Amino acid sequence: MDKHLGTTITYNEQELVSLLKNRDNRAFAYLYDNYSGALYGIILQILDNMELSNDVLQEVFINIWRKIESYDPSKGRLYTWMLNIARNASIDTLRSRSFQNSQKNQSFPENVDGLSAGTSIPNIDHIGLKKMLEKLKSEQRVLIDLAYFKGYTHEEIADIEGIPLGTVKTRIRTALQQLRNILK
Amino acid sequence: MNTQEYISSGIVESYVLGLATDQERAEFERMCAAHSDVRAARDAFEISLERESLANTVAPPNHLRSKILSEIEIEKEKNRGNILANQGIKDDQEGVGKAPVVKLRGGGRYLAAASIILLVASTALNFYFFNQYKSVTAKYEDEVAKSAAYAQNERDYLNTIQRLSDPAMAIIKMAGDSVPSSPAPSSIATIYWDTRTKDVFLLVNKMPEPSADMQYQLWAIVDGVPVDAGVFDMAKGIVTMKNIPRAQAFAITLEKRGGSPTPKGQMYVLGKV
Repeated sequence: MDKHLGTTITYNEQELVSLLKNRDNRAFAYLYDNYSGALYGIILQILDNMELSNDVLQEVFINIWRKIESYDPSKGRLYTWMLNIARNASIDTLRSRSFQNSQKNQSFPENVDGLSAGTSIPNIDHIGLKKMLEKLKSEQRVLIDLAYFKGYTHEEIADIEGIPLGTVKTRIRTALQQLRNILK
Repeated sequence: MNTQEYISSGIVESYVLGLATDQERAEFERMCAAHSDVRAARDAFEISLERESLANTVAPPNHLRSKILSEIEIEKEKNRGNILANQGIKDDQEGVGKAPVVKLRGGGRYLAAASIILLVASTALNFYFFNQYKSVTAKYEDEVAKSAAYAQNERDYLNTIQRLSDPAMAIIKMAGDSVPSSPAPSSIATIYWDTRTKDVFLLVNKMPEPSADMQYQLWAIVDGVPVDAGVFDMAKGIVTMKNIPRAQAFAITLEKRGGSPTPKGQMYVLGKV
């Protein structure tokens, strides 16, 4: 990584944050180069639509730039903070009217052969969190999917799945405990 | 519920992934502040989540990079000239819509064309002068901020000198050659110990720069037992360490960043009180 003729700069997280708070463009480019792939992955997993994901990625990075002052390292790592911005922005888009409309359009059979013009979505079911979820029992996976990737509250999930709220809570808790062991 | 049960209840993951309710978040933040093992569990999950995410990325389309970076450039400009820019937009909008549409003939056309050219030229000039004005203003503000920072530094410096020169301040020299196994025997650091308030200040005279994942930690030796007196980074001049009521000696070891509850790394310097 840092053997490119001395031109590659690496920052530790503390340095990166303080440079970003000082509105340093180079640090921001570094942030983009190192984290855009991970954030784009999560956005695609939530939206499953490349064009909208491109818009959301742009929105996310501009928000990171605007809100970096409010980032508090004592509450977690920079990546966690950015990941939550990306997830929230994606879920807002998922719930927006324009997304609902675009989904309606997609259901028209214009891309029957499966290759719609210019939008080949990379296979995103086997990366990051989704990959980890594969290791969970299906009844747990469904609930985490609804909670994390669709942004539903526990109450909404109980309604959708037709199971008691208590069961939803227990299953999600167990799933999260297992997730931690999978990650170890 | 003890902290281990709390940690393994799923709350760590739920907090980090943004699934916790506001109430759970607030409680978790309190627990993190009060219990270092809760915080350590959070750090560990965050790090493994980050590692997993960074190992499985999807590269966004190339054109997005330049688009986003230039967007940031615009944001930066906007912030600098915000007030003036807002004013400009308001004036423009007032002008629009009030202008009547009139058909022009003959000489009037040329006159109109000329006036549009003049308008364009003057807009360009306005833009040019506005940019000049912005950059001069920014430079001036930078200078004002810098000189305020210098003044503050100077006050801090004088305060420190005054405190250190107080006769009640005990000076303890810690040397690398007092430690037979020191990795850097020529190391020197000095403790200034206020015998009244028991405040401890540290000056690193000469010590090797540690790698980014390591940090030096100061210990007060109290009846043969090392007591944590805080970690420090290099190149900060005189640093304030933890208050130490009683000690027979001071020593510095190299520990993992963040320090250790008891010394685990090698001792670099030692000085008796």
